[in-house]
Amino acid sequence: MTEVSRTVSTKAILLGNEAIARGIVEAGCLVASAYPGTPSSEILPAVAKFADELGSPMAVEWGVNEKVAFEVAAAASFTGARSCAVMKQVGLNVAADPFMSAAHFQLKGGMLLVVADDPGPHSSQTEQDSRYFAMFAKVPCFDPCSAAEAREMVFDAFDLSERFGIITMLRPSVRVDHCRQDVELGELRPPKGQVKFDKEPSRWVCLPASVKVNHPRLNAKVEEIRAAFETEFEKYNYEVPSKEKSVLGIVASGVCFSVVSDILKGWGREDVAVLKIGTPHPLPVKMVTDFISRQPKVLFLEETYPVMEMQLPDRTGILGRWNGIVPGAGELLPETVADILAKILGMDHPAGEGSPLLRQAMEELKITPRKPMLCPGCPHRASFFSIRQALPNAVNPSDIGCYTLGVNQKAVDAVMDMGASVTMGSGFFLVHKAAGMERPIVSTIGDSTFFHMGLPGLASAVYNRHAFVLAILDNSTTAMTGGQANPAVGEKLRKGDAGRKVDIEAVCRGCGVTFVRTIEAYDVGAGKEAVKEAWEHAKSRSEPAVIIFRHPCMLLRPQQSAVQVKVDPEKCIGCKFCINFFNCPGLVFDEKKSKAYIDERFCVSCGVCVSVCPHGAIGEISGEGE
Amino acid sequence: MQYVIVGIGGQGILFASKVLGKIALERGESVIGSEVHGMAQRGGSVISHFKVGDYRSPLVMAGEADILLAFDQNEAVRNLHFLKKKGSLVVNVHDRAALENSALAGMIRDREISVHSLEGYALLKEHMGGNFLFLNVLLMGAMCGAGVSGLSLGEVSRAVKELSPPQFQDANMKVLALGAEAISGGR
Repeated sequence: MTEVSRTVSTKAILLGNEAIARGIVEAGCLVASAYPGTPSSEILPAVAKFADELGSPMAVEWGVNEKVAFEVAAAASFTGARSCAVMKQVGLNVAADPFMSAAHFQLKGGMLLVVADDPGPHSSQTEQDSRYFAMFAKVPCFDPCSAAEAREMVFDAFDLSERFGIITMLRPSVRVDHCRQDVELGELRPPKGQVKFDKEPSRWVCLPASVKVNHPRLNAKVEEIRAAFETEFEKYNYEVPSKEKSVLGIVASGVCFSVVSDILKGWGREDVAVLKIGTPHPLPVKMVTDFISRQPKVLFLEETYPVMEMQLPDRTGILGRWNGIVPGAGELLPETVADILAKILGMDHPAGEGSPLLRQAMEELKITPRKPMLCPGCPHRASFFSIRQALPNAVNPSDIGCYTLGVNQKAVDAVMDMGASVTMGSGFFLVHKAAGMERPIVSTIGDSTFFHMGLPGLASAVYNRHAFVLAILDNSTTAMTGGQANPAVGEKLRKGDAGRKVDIEAVCRGCGVTFVRTIEAYDVGAGKEAVKEAWEHAKSRSEPAVIIFRHPCMLLRPQQSAVQVKVDPEKCIGCKFCINFFNCPGLVFDEKKSKAYIDERFCVSCGVCVSVCPHGAIGEISGEGE
Repeated sequence: MQYVIVGIGGQGILFASKVLGKIALERGESVIGSEVHGMAQRGGSVISHFKVGDYRSPLVMAGEADILLAFDQNEAVRNLHFLKKKGSLVVNVHDRAALENSALAGMIRDREISVHSLEGYALLKEHMGGNFLFLNVLLMGAMCGAGVSGLSLGEVSRAVKELSPPQFQDANMKVLALGAEAISGGR
């Protein structure tokens, strides 16, 4: 869980996500719902924590997915209350359906959508820019340049939402979410108005007939908001004029503004003017074109897509993504921005130029970035090993979560988006069936992901009689994002707020699955047997079979018996089987000696690797000292 | 002052920036930094940027860091380009021979980087029963011992103590002193 930093006087060092959370609570929001996803995950736990501290009556909870979270929050706003939904960029794809609809309503209470983008990307399958989604839905978007500004924008986003009856988006990027900065703390503002739902079908039922009214009204709102952004939002949209005659103008949004400011200051360039835009949609076009008209040339810097650039009526002469001056993918890191600027300004390459000696050293010492891998003692590692050993020829679709890292164990063949392990299992079954072929299929999914979007796929597979094995890797938490609770865990976020556990086995049986077996994930032997049996069952009856591999996540620091292990160098033949198919940070290969050994810095004595070595070289250190 | 803190996911890297932040806040200075969360933290390379003073961007630009605090020697080498000329490297080493690679030594000499190294794992094995969870505080101690951060052992010690869970406070104080001592005689 997120730890909220301590308060000193009225300032505290907060994570960007904590600053956003603080704003949400202070603004008097009454319902906040989210599904965790990096880089957004710390927002909701911090909302709960601040709500407890400030004594807000608000409801704070995880939805099982982003669509659920969004719709819960939207309904709350229909009553006049302030509400908030929080997710990451790919989460908005899941919530895209209600998001597009919500834009059409004349909302009552302020509704804020916080969507965290991940340029880079550090923990995502895409680099998509949610500001485009704001444009698509025709809703206003705030793009903060720092943690402090993000908190401030929350208040204005709620106010704007209420003033125009429209949902507003706050789109922090990862460098805002996960920046740590000193931030001003405020008090709880009492909730606005009273909670009262008035029956108005013409307002709250989105019949096709309503679109005739709703869409033109939405278009009118966009233009009114654009006018407001031109004139009333100087604190987010402002010019930092050059002190000398300007040789270049830069239009920058979000964290790009912060990056370019530090670079220009560091270089002592006082002949560059910067226009900061905190509201990239709808773009304050007059303000931007006026700035452009006063500059010899203009560069656009924004992450990740050219959202502002695309809204310009005339892009002639603009330096940006459309003409390849700014790269079309990846994060705009200081080094990248410095390169772009140095070229435009005709400067020698600035600081940070790679040293040839350093490159040579890295080659000689074979130093490469260390890839992410499952934690030592992670139950998923054992589950993947069982699955692959049982059916080495199987197709293995998997899902979004820590277990995606099963790719290191060659036990994950395809990952698309949350829940797709189940539906891809169906697809692989159907295509093989239609082609008159047979191949085992074992899909893997986590407990949180199963509830997120695995369930509809499972119901579909039962109904349509798709034969595959679904392995639910239940570690009793949402691990990748830092350990949030989910329906399988049953816990809730606010103090004294009791949840109820939803039983995965019963859910699967309720869907009509006739083979449901639960295995202790560490028990590799039992796991292998269960996978073989499940596949036979699925194949013979043409229906999905479910195995639940259960063992708590190591980040929950479970109490478990310690099994000290060692590699016997006499028996180790250097085949690397353990490295290639078990892939534990505690089990490493000494290239010089051509033997595996236990790296005690990382080994947590789970003992699972004892059953891994085909030559029996990994053994338990017997008894003494226990 | 600009810091880059690097290591491997699970080594407790984020704790170091929390300590730096707390001290700066008490001194009334502004801070901004950037952390890594999520997938990259699962045993992969981790980098945290931290800037104290009048900055807007959370990221340190290559060639501008005053201090590179490295929990892992390979990660130190991979991120050495972040250090400015005459910057300081405080590093936990596990393979001294590799540090003596001639190209690497040449780069360090050219850039006039001061190196402060300690064998963290060996020290923790000897003094802390091999509990490697204390590596982060050991490195904070080493940074004080090296005298490169402008932070006194006293203020770091107070910040570490306040940010530590109660059951680790005593051990953390011991480890902090251990780190400071290990490095003060270093080169």
